[in-house]
Amino acid sequence: MPPRLVGGADLAHEMAMGRIDTDFLARFFQAAAARLDAQRDELCHLDGEIGDGDHGSSMANGFAAVAALVRGGRHVPEDPAALMREAAAAFLGDVGATVGPLYATAMLDAAKALDRGPLPLDRSPEFLAAMAGGIARRGKAGPGDKTMLDAWLPAVHAAELALREGASVSEAAWRAAASARAGAEATATMIASRGRAARLKERSLGHRDPGAVSAALILEGFAEAVGPRPAGIGA
Amino acid sequence: MAGSATRRQKTGTTRGRGAQSAAAGQAGPPLRFNDDPLLWASWLYYEEGLTQGEIAEAMNVSRPTVNSYLADARAAGIVNISIAAERFKSLSVARQLQEHFGLEECLVIPGEGGARSLIDRLGAAGAQALERLVHSGDTVGITWGRTMLAVARAVRRSGLSDLRVVQATGGTTAVIPYTPEACATQLAESLGARCISISAPAIVSSAQARRILLAEPVVSEQISALDAVNRIVFGISSLRPDSTIHQSGFFENSVEQHDHYRRAVGSVAGRFIDAHGSPVEGPLGDRTIGIGLDRLRKVRTRIAVAGGYDKVPAMLAALRGGYASILVTDAATGEGILRADGVQTSAPSAARRARTDRPEIAPRTVIKKFLNAPRDAVSESLDGALRAFPEVIEPIDGSLRAIRSCAAPREGKVGLVIGGGAGHEPCFLGYVGKGLADAVAVGNVFASPPPDRVLTCTRAASAGAGVLYIYGNYTGDVMNFEMAAEMAAADGIDVRTILTTDDVASSPPEQRQGRRGTAGNVFVFKVAGAACDRMYGLDECERLARKANGATFTMGIGLESCSLPETQRPSFQIGADEMEVGIGIHGEPGVLRTGITAADLAVDHICDRLFSEMNLSAGDRVALLVNSLGGTPMMELLIMARRVHERLSARRAVAVRNLVGHYCTSLDMVGASITLMKLDDELLDLLDHPCAGFALSVG
Repeated sequence: MPPRLVGGADLAHEMAMGRIDTDFLARFFQAAAARLDAQRDELCHLDGEIGDGDHGSSMANGFAAVAALVRGGRHVPEDPAALMREAAAAFLGDVGATVGPLYATAMLDAAKALDRGPLPLDRSPEFLAAMAGGIARRGKAGPGDKTMLDAWLPAVHAAELALREGASVSEAAWRAAASARAGAEATATMIASRGRAARLKERSLGHRDPGAVSAALILEGFAEAVGPRPAGIGA
Repeated sequence: MAGSATRRQKTGTTRGRGAQSAAAGQAGPPLRFNDDPLLWASWLYYEEGLTQGEIAEAMNVSRPTVNSYLADARAAGIVNISIAAERFKSLSVARQLQEHFGLEECLVIPGEGGARSLIDRLGAAGAQALERLVHSGDTVGITWGRTMLAVARAVRRSGLSDLRVVQATGGTTAVIPYTPEACATQLAESLGARCISISAPAIVSSAQARRILLAEPVVSEQISALDAVNRIVFGISSLRPDSTIHQSGFFENSVEQHDHYRRAVGSVAGRFIDAHGSPVEGPLGDRTIGIGLDRLRKVRTRIAVAGGYDKVPAMLAALRGGYASILVTDAATGEGILRADGVQTSAPSAARRARTDRPEIAPRTVIKKFLNAPRDAVSESLDGALRAFPEVIEPIDGSLRAIRSCAAPREGKVGLVIGGGAGHEPCFLGYVGKGLADAVAVGNVFASPPPDRVLTCTRAASAGAGVLYIYGNYTGDVMNFEMAAEMAAADGIDVRTILTTDDVASSPPEQRQGRRGTAGNVFVFKVAGAACDRMYGLDECERLARKANGATFTMGIGLESCSLPETQRPSFQIGADEMEVGIGIHGEPGVLRTGITAADLAVDHICDRLFSEMNLSAGDRVALLVNSLGGTPMMELLIMARRVHERLSARRAVAVRNLVGHYCTSLDMVGASITLMKLDDELLDLLDHPCAGFALSVG
């Protein structure tokens, strides 16, 4: 990672574009928590079909605990990396489950991407890639295994591609969210090879992976924190 | 296929007998037909094997009358023509695939095919399709791969003239028997056709090399034959890491390395397609020699032959992209493709099935429960347990979810920490107490406790001799307890982990370590707790716990879904007349969904599997646990226990220790599990060691 030394005109530009700082993270956590809470029952139901049915509660409660860190009047650390580490501890401490270690590791790895201070939004793929990398490392899954990575990996790729093609930061974030959703839909064609659904083998066909569906909701929360959805992207 | 209906063959002998009885020339029907002409006509036709003309003579009616008798007999249900279930399924899956993807034809082979491998059976079916569709003067293309070689070998068709077979892609130097050259050569030989191979590699080093090669007159002429292809038979490759395409060496470098191919889910003729079947362009495109996807789609007859679950995403993509006009696959894969594309795969006959005489009960959507705020359910139940059994368990540092035994810690005793999600009550906290576990970490409903809570329990249980973790083998529990074990190691506590793996339904015997832990937990906790209580060393405690797990086998059957406090809806759907064999303790689907049977048959299903897993022999002693998954009452558990004892006696084995009741539940699931632990003197002795948990006490 190149050193983060910006000042003057660069800094002004960066401030206008937006940065992943604690304010941004606060918006992100609350947007993701709201989306997960709204889909709590649906996620539980998806999980009931191929897993144990706790996914909606675990994700909604976990992100509620993370959002509580930044809600009204609480002292929030200035340093976004420190806030990400607090978020990891809050999430893990609240849910445990399967997603606890996965998202806690994702958040700890994302904290490392913020160790040199806030990240300008045109480098948001680094942040998202760190999240995805943490999940892959802890869960030992790969693409096509019918897991949350099948939403996270296409999202990271879409964000990178969009920015390379000159898209705005909010367009890139929403294209990432749309790719995550498409990836989550595609998990219906996959056979699980990790987690509890792996024991179902071909019977998991036709069912979307709840972890991929919740990942798409989180990425939509991320995009929401970046900016409004541009016309013509996603549904 | 319709010819395989179970209509009796008209053999000479039955015809002879029929003719004799007809010749007897009775005035009316034989008495046994009771004046029912439909029954009489049906008997003569289907059982005696007479022709309609012979029947008309025997019944003294006209031939059209016989014909209408036979039709009426079917309508009235006197005659039921059935097609063997496996073949029926194939037909129905084929019809659905054909309609759903707009195919010209679809051939689906039955799931069970005896000793022959799936690839050989697909090859034979692909050959059958090709034989029917190939004509004199055709130019037939073929791609490469195991299935293609099987097709080429199975084809038996001669007597055609001016037939050409073209290799659809360039060749490969990879050391595989199913190269493009081999497949084309074999097919040409089987068809008695002229073979046109491509004297260039499928993948060349650069776009420039491709241009140079294509300019070579010999290659150019060979390639131009691809333009004349009017029939093609092709395979569909999965891009999963363990698929043939990666292992064959067809592409020198792993395709995954190319960023461009991230979107690709499958490969057809060496080209890549995404989930919608659109071509995925990339650097290999300009370096590939062979038929292009656009050209492929224009071929008149396009026979795709492929099967296997790993190919489902790739096959679905190829079908969506319209590359195949004819699909040849197997029933299981075909059904998987349909399900993956959201098509209901119920047999079409379901609508015509006999009506049940039981009135339909409207499905209930909300399950009644004794709850306050649903999200307080776990905390309030733990609070209740702590208040009800204060002489047995107490909170650690005031935490409701990290709980320890009230028994005074003894210096030098190995600590035993157990734990897991809530919803299995009295598991796990009912097995904390003297002679059992020292501490339990409790998570949310069906969700592992987090590492810090496990660490709290570990510190409470540690008395300087090390700590055993025993918990069920689930991804979440493993990750959280492993993180806790790492933190405990940093504290200088020696932690050993035993994953319980007693559920025989969750994977085959050779993957024992991958099985999930269910009600067998109870016996493993009991044995390990006794070993710790006797002040055995850490190694010895670990050995005994592993031995106990190795000797314990469980299988469950679910009748109704459980429902989570927060949703109060069934977690999964199960039909009014179905049961789930091999269900897990979180409502995870089992190995088989089947029609509900009498209790004895259900128990037999479980006993057959358990007895064979544990090699149960005459004279063996076992411990038996008949466990309710939550909603099944004691009365039914006792009915089941009775049958287990009958089966044990028949094997001349005996259950010397018995537990019947709610020991490891799955909320309110209706269902039960049966656990058997094969005993030797050592295990029996530890089972009999005194203990005092609120859900289990001895002595």
